Amino acid sequence: MGKCCDKKDVKINASDPCHPPQPVRSGSPNATSRVWEPGVPVRAYQETPDGVITNGQPLAWFDNMIPNCLAYATDAKAQGKHIVGIMCEYTPRELIMAAEAVPVCLCGGSAEMIGPAEEHLPANLCPLIKSTYGYHVQKANPFLEMADLVVAETTCDGKKKMYELMAETRPMHVLELPQKPDDADALAHWISELRKLKARLEEAFGVTITDEKIRQAIRTMNRERALRRRLADLMKSDHPPLTGRQLLQFKSNISGMCADFAQYTRALESYVGWAVPTNLQGVNSTTNGGHSPPYKARVLMTGVPVVHGAERVVEIIESNGGLIVCMDNCTGLKPILEDVDETAADPIVALAEKYFRLPCSVMTKNSRRLDILRHLAREYRVQCVIDLIWQACLTYDVESYFIKKLAEQELGLPYLRIETDYSPGDSARIALRVEALFETVRQRACA
Amino acid sequence: MYAGIDAGSRAIKVVLIGEDGPGVVAQGQVDQGVEQDKIACRLLEEVLAQTGVDRSQVCRIVATGYGRNAVSIADTTITEITCHAVGVRQLVPAAMTVIDIGGQDSKLMRLDTNGRVRDFAMNDRCAAGTGRFLEVVADRLGLSLGDLGPMAARSRNPAVISSMCVVFAETEITGLLAAGRACEDIVAGVQTAIAARIVAMAGRNIEAPVIFTGGVARISGMETALQTALGRPIAPAPEPQMTGALGAALLARRQRGSD
Repeated sequence: MGKCCDKKDVKINASDPCHPPQPVRSGSPNATSRVWEPGVPVRAYQETPDGVITNGQPLAWFDNMIPNCLAYATDAKAQGKHIVGIMCEYTPRELIMAAEAVPVCLCGGSAEMIGPAEEHLPANLCPLIKSTYGYHVQKANPFLEMADLVVAETTCDGKKKMYELMAETRPMHVLELPQKPDDADALAHWISELRKLKARLEEAFGVTITDEKIRQAIRTMNRERALRRRLADLMKSDHPPLTGRQLLQFKSNISGMCADFAQYTRALESYVGWAVPTNLQGVNSTTNGGHSPPYKARVLMTGVPVVHGAERVVEIIESNGGLIVCMDNCTGLKPILEDVDETAADPIVALAEKYFRLPCSVMTKNSRRLDILRHLAREYRVQCVIDLIWQACLTYDVESYFIKKLAEQELGLPYLRIETDYSPGDSARIALRVEALFETVRQRACA
Repeated sequence: MYAGIDAGSRAIKVVLIGEDGPGVVAQGQVDQGVEQDKIACRLLEEVLAQTGVDRSQVCRIVATGYGRNAVSIADTTITEITCHAVGVRQLVPAAMTVIDIGGQDSKLMRLDTNGRVRDFAMNDRCAAGTGRFLEVVADRLGLSLGDLGPMAARSRNPAVISSMCVVFAETEITGLLAAGRACEDIVAGVQTAIAARIVAMAGRNIEAPVIFTGGVARISGMETALQTALGRPIAPAPEPQMTGALGAALLARRQRGSD
């Protein structure tokens, strides 16, 4: 990881004005003296009139995620490094990092990019695909414009065909993702796909990807995953220090940035007093049901990824009585739940095994997603399940049948499916649904 | 005294109830408008004046409906989903399913044996299957909403309206008129189409008794159309437009002493 640590920390104020929040002991929630409001301790940061963040709060750092990444990528490019755009969590960033290149997430979260995309793409397509493609035709995503290569994969039909259009003008490598996760020959095929990617990267960038370089990248990525997992763990508390919206902010379009790691660590240090003791984990607590308002219903959010710029539904949920304690999607826990074996004899096999286990709805059968949801619902003591579907995302849409069944019949939790896109026209209607859902949750908690 | 105010998309409704008992002290209804906060406030004053109750005797007000957050005199808001369930349960204690069709929404609520909402479904970004659909049709045919029911009842051969979208359905109706189809067949066809949308939204798993609420339940023929589409009996709530406001008033009473 080396040198980047020395220079990119400049925006962090040396004299730390951050006051760690007062820990609330989980065993003795004191509702009378203090009305609990998740996320309060980390809101107080200031911006100067010219927009420079003067306070070294970790959340302020990640609020600036795009400029941070842009500065990092620009420097990397100036140093002769290559930029590789990626669009899915199935792509192992480690291989790209081992090629001394910088993997950058290109998924579009802007509603404004959808109009331009519809000049080529059908209106009835998922907004994530359209927004990503809109950036491509408008040449409006600086990371994509910097990219020397785009690595894509055959996940859903919409993405797969969109990549063909994008490949008309950009160098593109498509990984063929097998879709029967439990077949041994499927994994074998995925391993060979990763070997082809390695060869492509070596050829394109004139480098040799050694096993040791891959292992080094694996260690970096494992560290990042562990840091983000620990942050997510904070939400298991009866009184999490963050909102789900804030936790969602703790991510980066570029993995492995040392400055990010420093901020993850700082965040953990300042919030650590909030972590629920392990001996209380798994206790089915509705203790905050005894609080007077604001009562927050603990939400497990599942379904499609919530990429940067497309956080509208998350904000609606949390401003209408919910607290998203857990997100299992690709911008949440799904990609960071498991690590890659750092000691495997063949690191590419280790990568293939980890990434192939991602429970995306393009897989058939995708029973691993249900297993994870069962586990997370218990770990985070959730009170309801909200399933977010981007309009025209057929695989998640169809799979919602199983999620509803799991939530209502097996877990006994109220379930709400929200199908929407990036435009705000239905915000009031979504608010009505989540409010009604939380009224049901409250009635159950008080019964 | 407790008040429920249902600020719906087409009308505002107020229900006033006493300290106990199922009876309604007074109620009122007025068309929705631009300044809905003022309209709601004036309506409440009128209802109070009718019964000689002073404003100070109303100890809690709950607002519901799409305009609930605009009603400044309310102490709190509760969604119409919960309010309709509570209102219907009061009127029909055995109710297990509520179908509510209002001006811009259609909703289906499944209740548990305690009368709590177990699960609900509602229309998305589309007005098909709502009262707005009927308004557009009435307007196109030069009829009032009250004419629709008797007219549909005369149909022997309802037209097939296949468009999912109100705007396209209007075009389709223009086509049907041009082809010489009778108005009664078109109106009956629209009622069938709305019922079909509700069934598609609700799924087949519907437990009886099914109670029909919302302004659209007042239009005769809709109940029969829904009954046919769902394949089970449906009873309109007594005064179906008032159940949301009634539920809000009952919830206000349940919350007594909460602040």
